[in-house]
Amino acid sequence: MTLNGKEVPADGPGPASSAEDGLTPASGTGEVARELRQRIAGQFGRSLHIRTLDTGSCAVCEQEIRLLAAPHYDLHRLGFFFTPAPRHADLLLVTGPMIRAMDVAVHKTYQAMPGPKVVVATGACALGGIYPQDPFVHGDAGKVLPVDVWIPGCPPSPLALLHGLLVAVGRLAEKTPGLTFLADGEAR
Amino acid sequence: MPLWFARGLRRGIVTAHYPARPDDSSASLPTPPAFRPAALNRQVAGRLCAACPNGALRRENDVLIFDVGACTACGRCADAAPEAVVPSGQFELATTARSALIKRIPLAGEAAGE
Repeated sequence: MTLNGKEVPADGPGPASSAEDGLTPASGTGEVARELRQRIAGQFGRSLHIRTLDTGSCAVCEQEIRLLAAPHYDLHRLGFFFTPAPRHADLLLVTGPMIRAMDVAVHKTYQAMPGPKVVVATGACALGGIYPQDPFVHGDAGKVLPVDVWIPGCPPSPLALLHGLLVAVGRLAEKTPGLTFLADGEAR
Repeated sequence: MPLWFARGLRRGIVTAHYPARPDDSSASLPTPPAFRPAALNRQVAGRLCAACPNGALRRENDVLIFDVGACTACGRCADAAPEAVVPSGQFELATTARSALIKRIPLAGEAAGE
């Protein structure tokens, strides 16, 4: 079974990468991502429905996600909408460290979404930063779901979330590969 | 009248203009640290790694490995070594490759300790 240009096991969502640590993308990810962006831009246009999935987060990510719908950030102006049903959703916004008690819910949610679908891991928990070794959690959304976009932050601000959503649909370029996090030579 | 109406509408809008232009609030967001390699040596790097509560920082020989995805922008590294760490001001960090978030910071400072 192929979803979003990726091979996915027919019986459920598989890890996004072949690497054991979940941090190294499988080879050819850049091409897959480009193809995905083109497909989504063609199929979703400027209307995209988001289902949020809390897999054991502390709810601060949810607070920031909820702020997206407030008048100041107003994500509807960009064509994004929240939907209560995964069957109506194009994009799964995953927060939390993938607690094992949510395995069935995560599986059902992912399976219920029609393709093509995008999975966005949100916050340091889902990126494997907070609970990398805890036995009660998978610790990294990439170990359970085929994650397409990673949004760092604890919590990611609504602006960071907007940037992540726009990266997910290919309307903004990602800046991260070009950032060095070196302070020298910058005016401050 | 139409001009006044248009101007009123324009000034009355409170919605952020992001991504067309940066939002005013983005300057005050907590952001991951940026490092000054000239002020970093093994000793300072050890202090930074010990201060980080999430293991976002680790040292491999003369390189500091910074996992931006694990960083919570808590600022403890900036407290531990204010001469070597400043806020990066970067919040648009979403990426399609998890590995793009792992940055290598060279330790270019004078060797100390060891």
